Amino acid sequence: MKGLYVQNVTKCYGDVKALDQVELAVNPAEFMVVMGPSGCGKTTLLLVILGALSPDKGHIWINERDVEELPLNERNIGYVPQDFGLFPHLNVHENIAFGLRVRKHSEEKIRERVNQLLHIVDLEGLESRKPKELSAGQRQRVALARALATDPYVLLLDEPLSNIDEATKAEVRANLKEIQKKTKVTTLCVTHNPEDSFQLGERIAIMYSGRIIQCDTPQNILEKPKNELIRKLVAPMYILWKNDSARK
Amino acid sequence: MTKDRFEFAILVLACAVVVYMLISILYLYVAVGESWNLVVNALFDGRVLGAIAISISSAFIVGGLAIATAIPSAYLLTYRSFRGKEIIETFLIDLPQTFPPVTEGLVYLLMFGRIGLAYTYIAVIIAKFYVSAPFAMSFATRRFREIRETGLDVIAKSLGAKTSHVLGKVLLPLSSRDLLAGFSLTWARAMGELAATLVFAGAIAWKTETIPTLVYLTAAEMPQVAIAASIIAETLSIAALLSFKWIARRRQ
Repeated sequence: MKGLYVQNVTKCYGDVKALDQVELAVNPAEFMVVMGPSGCGKTTLLLVILGALSPDKGHIWINERDVEELPLNERNIGYVPQDFGLFPHLNVHENIAFGLRVRKHSEEKIRERVNQLLHIVDLEGLESRKPKELSAGQRQRVALARALATDPYVLLLDEPLSNIDEATKAEVRANLKEIQKKTKVTTLCVTHNPEDSFQLGERIAIMYSGRIIQCDTPQNILEKPKNELIRKLVAPMYILWKNDSARK
Repeated sequence: MTKDRFEFAILVLACAVVVYMLISILYLYVAVGESWNLVVNALFDGRVLGAIAISISSAFIVGGLAIATAIPSAYLLTYRSFRGKEIIETFLIDLPQTFPPVTEGLVYLLMFGRIGLAYTYIAVIIAKFYVSAPFAMSFATRRFREIRETGLDVIAKSLGAKTSHVLGKVLLPLSSRDLLAGFSLTWARAMGELAATLVFAGAIAWKTETIPTLVYLTAAEMPQVAIAASIIAETLSIAALLSFKWIARRRQ
């Protein structure tokens, strides 16, 4: 299939199964969220897809290609870690241009693409700032722009809102969703936060102890949770969702 | 306000250590007494000038070689897992700092003497490198590991970077201060190296005689020359270390 397909992936750390026969398909241009408690294997899943970790079993397919043999730097996957991972010695422009520069694009093309991305993430005028001179929300947008610069096949987001303060979280979340819609990049986001999951995801995969236990639309997960555990995990969202429906 | 006697005792001990170390460094300037003209004269003495030239030039070459070798070594120790890695690290970094230099000088004499390298300028470099380079390797390895912990190398690779890019655009720029610190300590250690150099390279004026060997050989018969050479060496080392620190702070 086009998009991202995680086929029966298992990954162990010693005796601990971090990923246990994980099966997950993300459609092209879809925003999929993997939600689960801390330590359930979410970040391991991202690192296996990215190519930073090798699975013990299973395959990763990107746009109908098994990427098992492809090294990390040839997979063309955009990755935004929890702390955004900006290069501290480079300014905003240089951070965004990094992937284009190592691919030896012309300076003119780099400038054009960086300007386009600065416009998309609404950071025009901040090109020469260093990461430490930016707010958390701005750093996140730089990291997004950098990850999108090379037109990746897939975008991976690791807890993208965990470093954003509550006051600006709703705005940053809306921005994130808008940028994903504009760029139409196939996106897999992992988070432990039910509210972020339900606000961002077109579909949500619930992960627990290294397994995907339900994958469906937010509404279906709320209305038809597969078991009691899922009902408990999404309970806070059920109340919000009902209130929203009542208001509408 | 209550008096914290324990903290007071710790601070007194710390001050005592600071005073002792400062006196150990600065006493030489007192010991020279009123014979400063001897120091000035020594600056124009051919043998002392030769020792200064050999010491400084060899220390810079050793510093450069140490950085050039520290980078691949640090990369290997940071990014490759293999059996015996800890032992290799001990042999590469820890052992040369504790191994008796005079013994290493003898090893080199036996190993390289037969191919004509003993008592040459290259012998000075080889002897100094063994005891000094581990400082640069240690700094580089520690910094590379810190950067690996941040995951910036993985992000660079996800953006398409090859090993050369990761090294040139991430690891080295983010390690520049540590590499400079490693260079400065290597340089200072190389300036002060005596035993391995004396055994392997000897003390031939304008060829292999360094300031430490000159001091060692003249201390008994010509103490004024030894003191003058020591003052010159010490002043150069202090000035160089402070300069390196100043440069590092400017880069921060």
